[in-house]
Amino acid sequence: MYCYQCGCQLTEHDYCPHCGADVAVYKKIIHISNYFYNEGLDKAGVRDLSGAIVSLRQSVRFNKDNIEARNLLGLVYYEMGEVVAALSEWVISKNIAPEKNLADDYINMIQRNQTRLETINQTIKKYNQALTYCNQGSLDLAVIQLKKVLSLNPHFIRAHQLLALLYINNAEWGKAQKELFKCRAIDVNNTTTLRYLKEVESQILPEEAAQAGRRTAPDVIKYQSGNETIIQPAGAKNPGIDAPSLPTNLINIGIGLLVGAAIVGFLVLPARVQAVRQASANELKVVSEQSDAKTATIQEREQQIEQMTSQQEELQQQLEQYQSSEGSISASDALFEAASSYLEDPEDIVSISEAFSSIDYTAVENNASDQFKTLYESLYTRIRPQMMAQYYDTGYTAYQDQDYVSAIDNLEKAVQYGDAEEDGSDYANALYYLADSYYLQYREADNSQKSKFVTNITKAQQGYTAVSTEFPDLRIANTADTRLEEIRNLNIDVVPEQADTAQSGEETETGETETGSAGTGTASSGAGSSTETDGNTASDSTAEEAGTGISSGEEQ
Amino acid sequence: MINFEEELKKFHPSLEIEDAADAIYNQDLVDMADVMVKMAKENGVGETAPQDGK
Repeated sequence: MYCYQCGCQLTEHDYCPHCGADVAVYKKIIHISNYFYNEGLDKAGVRDLSGAIVSLRQSVRFNKDNIEARNLLGLVYYEMGEVVAALSEWVISKNIAPEKNLADDYINMIQRNQTRLETINQTIKKYNQALTYCNQGSLDLAVIQLKKVLSLNPHFIRAHQLLALLYINNAEWGKAQKELFKCRAIDVNNTTTLRYLKEVESQILPEEAAQAGRRTAPDVIKYQSGNETIIQPAGAKNPGIDAPSLPTNLINIGIGLLVGAAIVGFLVLPARVQAVRQASANELKVVSEQSDAKTATIQEREQQIEQMTSQQEELQQQLEQYQSSEGSISASDALFEAASSYLEDPEDIVSISEAFSSIDYTAVENNASDQFKTLYESLYTRIRPQMMAQYYDTGYTAYQDQDYVSAIDNLEKAVQYGDAEEDGSDYANALYYLADSYYLQYREADNSQKSKFVTNITKAQQGYTAVSTEFPDLRIANTADTRLEEIRNLNIDVVPEQADTAQSGEETETGETETGSAGTGTASSGAGSSTETDGNTASDSTAEEAGTGISSGEEQ
Repeated sequence: MINFEEELKKFHPSLEIEDAADAIYNQDLVDMADVMVKMAKENGVGETAPQDGK
């Protein structure tokens, strides 16, 4: 509180400490203003807006500088829909106290939203227009206008009251009551509202209004709403006015849910199920069509595979023919080389036999031409004895040097190219020393290596047996028998001999007709006639001595 | 019983926003404090306060 004269802050004394002015009355005035402000604040708190306006007006009448009272007054006016009155109070408040004033915020709130401001202006104009209609007697137009006003500004109490008045004039008590209830919700102690409400209620319940003006609790409540007379039990809530209770709401909701579920179950669901089934059937149809298409594709592919397989087989056969022709070509080259070597130097048995040996006649015999066969047989006839002798000499030398690998290799060829009838004892010697090489290779191997040469025993037995049976008159046959006895004494479990390409020539030579040897037909078939010739005697003796020497060595 | 006409007379037109300025200017802002000050000045009372001990 400040001094009205000098503006100095006052103390508890009744005079100004600065200028000495008597401030007793001034203080009382300020206190009264504050008292009315407090009263207005209390009333505004309980929504007695009309009462608050009265108190706050009193407050600012006592002290116009009571900014709080003025701001609150403006707020109350705004709540009642009197926007212009509210703005007036706030503007005055701002002029009195420009700094730190709530009125500033209120004014900015309204002015910031120009659309809202324009709407408020329109509601005021429409209200004034409605009032004009009422004065002119156009009550229907006035009602329409007032409804528009209230749709834009629902807090406009005067508009509600005027509309209620119009309804009362038309005896539309229910509507009037509705509007008055809205007024009462905004301003509980508005005199006009209460008066109209009393009138309306007296019309709705005339017998009760005639008794005490107060409503008791009858068994039924009867009132008119427009052209309708509504009768409802006492204690029941006014339909359309009062809201139904929570349990009722919940029950209604439950019933609604049940009905909805029944509708869905009996009407919506079957159609939905049918639609889903149809969709499934369509999908199944599409999938079946795709499956059929794929099956057809698979069958087509399988046919292609069969065709390609047969083509591959044909090509494979052609390739084999080609390879055999390759074989034929390589065999022809070898034959040409052998023939060429023979023509160059018929005495060069080594080169000739080397080239001739490379010819695999059995492989190409079926495909060979007649010229090939003729040349081969002719050349073979010419060089066979020399080849046989050459291989025998080489093999025997290796035998004597105990090089049994080389001995076997050469003596096999000697046996291959040898002929029992034509070569006689030479052939027998070759056969014997070949068998002996097999046997000795086994006998002289380490114990750990013996298993590798077990098959040699069978070959040796065959060789010895052939010598013994085909050439019984030769001394070498006795040696062969001796060797056979030695082998029997060894008690070896001989593994049946496998076909060996290195010794295939020797195999076919011993005891069987040689089918691979074209042109010669000189295979010794069992009872071979051996003739000792002078030329072979020395070699036979030597062979015998060598064989004896070896046997002696073994016995020692 | 409410008389419509009588009640209607109690309803006055509401001020529009354009009229707010005039309403503010025309408002009487004289309060009790102003009246008291004016009375005090006319009577010459309260200019100086009695001092204690004097």
